[in-house]
This record gives sequence, structure tokens and C-alpha cells, in this order.
Amino acid sequence: MSIQPVESASSLTPAMKPERGKRRGGGDRPIWLMWPGILLFIVIIGIPLLIAVYISFLNLDQYSLRSWLQAPWVGLANYMAALSGGETVVGASALVSLGISLAFSLLTTLLITPIGILAALTVNTSYRGRAVVRALYLIPYVIPTFVTALIWRMMFLNGTGLVDRSLAAVHLANVNTYWLLGPNSFWAMVIADTWASWAFIYIMVLAGLQSISHDIYESAAIDGANSWQKLTRIVLPQLRHILGLALLLSTLNHFNNFTLPFVMFGTPPPVQADVLPLNIYVSSFQLFNFGLGGAMSVITLIIMLIPGFVYIRALRLGEVRAA
Amino acid sequence: MKCNLRSTYLATSLLLLLSLALSGCGGGSNQSPTLHVLIGYNTVYPKQQQAWMQQISDEFKKSTGATIAWDTFNGSSEEQTRIQTSIVSGTGPDVFSMGTTFVPTAQATKGFTTLTDQDWNQVGGKARFFQQQLTMSGKSPDQTIAVPFVMRPFAMAYNKDLFQKAGIQAPPQTWSEFVQDAQKMTNSASGVYGTEIDPSDSFDTWKIWWMFAKQMGGDFLSADYKTAKLNSPEAVQAVHFWFDWATTHKIVDPNSMSWKAANALQAFANGKVGMLMMVTSTIRPTLKKSAIANSYAFAPMPSVPYGMQQRPANGVAAETIVSGDSLAVASYSNQKDLAFKFINLVTDAQHQIQYSSTFGDLPTNTDAANTLASQDPQTAAFVQAEKGAVPTPFTGVWGPLEVALTGVSAKLAGEVATGHYDPSHIKPLLDQANQQIQAQLH
Repeated sequence: MSIQPVESASSLTPAMKPERGKRRGGGDRPIWLMWPGILLFIVIIGIPLLIAVYISFLNLDQYSLRSWLQAPWVGLANYMAALSGGETVVGASALVSLGISLAFSLLTTLLITPIGILAALTVNTSYRGRAVVRALYLIPYVIPTFVTALIWRMMFLNGTGLVDRSLAAVHLANVNTYWLLGPNSFWAMVIADTWASWAFIYIMVLAGLQSISHDIYESAAIDGANSWQKLTRIVLPQLRHILGLALLLSTLNHFNNFTLPFVMFGTPPPVQADVLPLNIYVSSFQLFNFGLGGAMSVITLIIMLIPGFVYIRALRLGEVRAA
Repeated sequence: MKCNLRSTYLATSLLLLLSLALSGCGGGSNQSPTLHVLIGYNTVYPKQQQAWMQQISDEFKKSTGATIAWDTFNGSSEEQTRIQTSIVSGTGPDVFSMGTTFVPTAQATKGFTTLTDQDWNQVGGKARFFQQQLTMSGKSPDQTIAVPFVMRPFAMAYNKDLFQKAGIQAPPQTWSEFVQDAQKMTNSASGVYGTEIDPSDSFDTWKIWWMFAKQMGGDFLSADYKTAKLNSPEAVQAVHFWFDWATTHKIVDPNSMSWKAANALQAFANGKVGMLMMVTSTIRPTLKKSAIANSYAFAPMPSVPYGMQQRPANGVAAETIVSGDSLAVASYSNQKDLAFKFINLVTDAQHQIQYSSTFGDLPTNTDAANTLASQDPQTAAFVQAEKGAVPTPFTGVWGPLEVALTGVSAKLAGEVATGHYDPSHIKPLLDQANQQIQAQLH
């Protein structure tokens, strides 16, 4: 028995082509099996999304909350408010928060990527105690985010926290340096999130490394390749797709990280740590400006779709490859 | 055949979804009725709270045949989110426990039952409760939604040893005396400060500023609640004076700009703070286990503004605000009769005394409060303080107002922390807060 190559769609004779309209791209696959999933998707994601978009055009507050369908229609006013710059008394404007979130997510991803790759490389080959090291690497990732945030909040307390004491001991900073207020709050957030999330890249990369055949390494070794050449010529090219996916997911996760800054700083947070999810929360649920919160959420969704769309296009996911 | 299979599959899927939806809609009709109650999670006494819930459930079952389904929230953020989602969806708990200052916002949502005279009779009658607490039950005496459950009058806690060491005979009566006493106790070399400041806390900031402003004759809102006055001279002076503790008088820990109330309490419990501002009797369990377990006492907050010998003619002592927890019944509830029976049960004298003895909150039941006050001088002091409690303005924007002022405080604290503090920045920040709140006033 031999495996026959699949003929491309263009090579099919007109008589063999699927009847247009009847199957609509599904071939013989039972697409109707997806209906429960589609129904759940509509109920759980589709309808709430449409409601959020509708709310973003309303002046919805605590007075109109109960009869929200009758709240006054304000058109694009909430979007204009969200996209106007400057600071508000309770934190940053949505535009500034967007910048903070982008900087936070990109910077954190940039920091955790080499850490995750290096960690994965250290446990890729077999040695005594490897299982223990692998388990240890997972500790930051499995600790609940709010616990991580509480621990780092204590460590970043000025004067008494471990960070200030350690930095002061090696004469790198004053023992009374504030980390939970002012410009340093952004860096405190980045450091805490880097510590908590590098293991995500590690897991993804390790999965990729395990899928690379040993034959390739052996061939490279026979050809006289050194470790650096193996890394740059074999490992990284082979990891391209999985690393791309990891970077995309990591960026999205960091962008949407609410718990860490919420627990570390409370509300309202310092302007420098006022990431978009936190800003949306304060606007909606503490200031009762649900329309503005809705507008910010829609803007966030659009921004988040861009890297996802680019990634899908780049990898041509979902497309049938011609033989 | 294929078509039949497809139809069967679709029908099964729809039935499954329908059954899931129906199962989410509630229990069976042949079971005993269930009352859903949402209360705050007690982090200090979690086991005792479980036991209390069980006891109340048993007694409620015995007297009404109904069961109680308890649910808890942890912190004001979760409390607000739960209330908002329940109001919008029209489903959720029947009875909500909520902080007293959140009652105005809850009433603004129109999601809670306005209590009739008959309803009040069902929960024991208005005469059962402390009259000051009833001022936060609704926007007017005939439009009330909340029944007082527990109260937490505020006072100042002070370290008797530090007072004695500094030669201070009695707690200060005026804010000028307060600053002088705090300076006497302050010894920065040993990390001891006369008082504390927690500008990153979500509640202490507005509570303390509002008290200062009231004592100077000001307020955060006009009497008719139509005009925001967050940038009034009294409000500016209130904020200025508070941050002066750190920048001018140097009577607080210079590292306290990121402090919340828990940090201040910890410093006081460690014997590093002479006077702890605007606290309730609920801190007693923490202090009982601390280094100063036998050397602290409570006293009323000073009530004469800084630099004055007496309050201005329109000034109000406002040593404490009407504070505590109230119980409100959701307007969508179809178990209102049971809800009032539940409230009646937990607010009767016997249960209030028991609750107070276990958890430290003071009873809103007058008889229960007087009984406890006759047995313990510290409780008597708090009960006495409650008689002079001043209610905060009853307006639906009070919640956002608290957040706006906390934002102002956080910004000023950030300036102090980074060495960029300038008192002239207070007014512009309060102007912003005022503009924001004014836009929300109806």
C-alpha cells in the first residue's frame, strides 16, 4: 500500500469539481457537526460582543444601568473621549493607557523570549535531575497571578521590601526608592510579569525542540557544526512557527493582563502603570461610565485583532496547501 | 439516511443546549424555597463566619422551612461588580449586604426594593435601629432601601506607651494639638512617628479629607447635591493639611506614600506609630496579637481645624461618619417575604449581640448596642461616638467621587515620593475631580 499524492483542486476535471453552492467548501466533511459550537459561540461571545459595541454608543451610568436599552444614544462621543490624549484625575486617558499596554506587552515579551529559549535549551537534552529542573521552571507559571502580584507588591515596598534592600546592599539604589508609585511602577510591573510568564515561552519552545529529529543534529555533527551553528542553523529555523505563535499569544496575554497591576497597585493605579484593561475596569465599574468602558473595549479588540490577523496571514493557517 | 442523522444530531444538540439553559435558570419546584444571600467574606474570622452562616441557616430553616444559599464577595470591587451584574441581568442574590456609603449608588440603580412601612415592620420596625444609621438607608425617610446590619463608628487609636514617653497627658482635642503631640512622639532615628498617612488607600483619603472639610464648614457637595464642591477652599485646605504631615510637619514615615490602611495598621501594631487615624473597632483582633496588645486605647478624632481655637460657626465636628453594612433586597427577587424574615432574624437583639461578640462589628440594634456598651468601656466609647456620627451626602455619585479623590491622592503621593510635590498642584487636581463629578450629577 502506498500513499498517493493528493491532486490539487485546479487539476480536477469539471465533472469532478464539487457542486457549487451545495457543499460550499465543506467537501464531504460534515460541517453541520459544528452547529453546537457555533451556537455556543454566538451565545457566549457573539451576543455579548454586540451588546458591548451597542453600549459603546450609549451614555450608560449608574442611573440608567437597570434599563440600559433606553440609555441615551451619544454616537461616537465615547470613542472621541477614549481617543483624546492627556491624563484624567483617576489615571491616564485611554490613548495613554493604550501606549502603556503596548509598551508593557511588547517589552515583557521581548524580555521573556531569550529567557524562555535558554531555559528550554538547558533541559532539552537528557541528564540526571532534568525532571526536577523542568518542574522547578514551571513554578512561576503555575502560581496564581494574584499571589504573584501580592508577593511582588511586598517585595517592591519601599524601605522594607526585598528589592530596595537588595539594591541598597549592593549600592545600586537608595533603600527608600519607590516602586509602587511614579515612573518606577511601570518597571515594577514589567519585572513582576517577566518573572511570572517566561515559563510560557519555555514550554512552547521545549515542545518545539522535542519535535526536532535527532537525525538532523547527528547529521550536523557529522558535518562539523558547532553548538552555535546548530542553534542558529537548525534549532531557531525549526522553531520559527511555534516561536511565532508563542510570541503572538504572549503579547496578547500581557496586553490583557488585568490581575497583576490590579493587585500590585490597586485602583486607581499610578498613571505609568495604568494599562488599558485596568483603565476600562475603573471607567466602567468604579466610575460607572460604561459607555466609555465599552468604547475602550472595542478599540482594544480591534487592536488585538491586528497581530492575530497578521500571524494567520503569515502562516497561511487554514489554507489548503497545493501538492 | 445522512439527512436523518443530521436532523437527529441537530435536535439532540438543541435539546442539550436547552436543558443546560433551563438547568441554569433555577431549582426544581418541588424543593423548599431558597433565599440567596450575598455578604462580605470575613478574612479575619473565616471559620467563625462559616459557623455563623450555618447557625443562621438552621434557625431560618426551622422558622420558615426555607433554606439559605450563601454567597460571599471579597472586597469592595467585587461587591460593586456583583451588584452591577445582578442589576443588569435581573438575576442574582435576593439579599445584598453592602457598605453604607455604597447605598446611595445602589439606590440610584433603581435595582433595590423601596421599603414600605409594612416592610419595616417585618424587619422589626425602624425604632429597633440606631437613628444615625437610618440616615443612610435611603434618599429620604419615605424612600429607603437598606436596613442597617452592623455599624463601625470611627475613632483614633493611640499608643499609650508612646504618649507617656513623650509626656502627653491626654489625646488631642484640636488638630494643632495633634500636630504638636505627633512631633513630640516622632523619633525618625528609631523609626517612630507621631502618626501615619496612607495616601494610596481607597477609603482613608476621602474619609479624612471629608472630615477636615466638614470641620472647617465645607463639604464635597452642595446641600441639594446638585453642585460639586471638591475644589472649594475647605477641600483644598483639607488635602493641603493632610500632605503637610509628610512634607512640612514630618510626623509620618517618609516611606508611607504607597501605604494602604493595612500598612498603617501594621506600623501601629509594631509600636512605630503614635496615633492611628479613623479606625474602627474591627482592628482589635489584630492589635490583640500585637506587640502593643496592652498599651493602646481609642479616643475621638480631634474636631477643631488646624490653627484654630474653635470650629467655625458652620463647622461640624464630624468625628465619625455613618459607616457600617446594610442589607438590601433586590427588586427582582421573588422571595421578598423570606428576605425580610431573614433580615429580621439577623438584626434582633440576641443575634446582634452574638454577631458583635464574635466579629467585633457593633450592633445596629439599639438594645443590643446598649447592652454591650454597659459591659465594655471601649464599646461604650464607640457607641457614644456613633451618636454624633454624620452621614455622607446621599447621592448616586458618591462612589465615583471616592474614586476621583483617591486618584487625586495617588497623584499627590506620587509627587511626594518622587520629590516633585508642590502644594499649588492640589487645586488643579481637585478642579479636574470636581469637573468629572459635576458631569455625573443629575
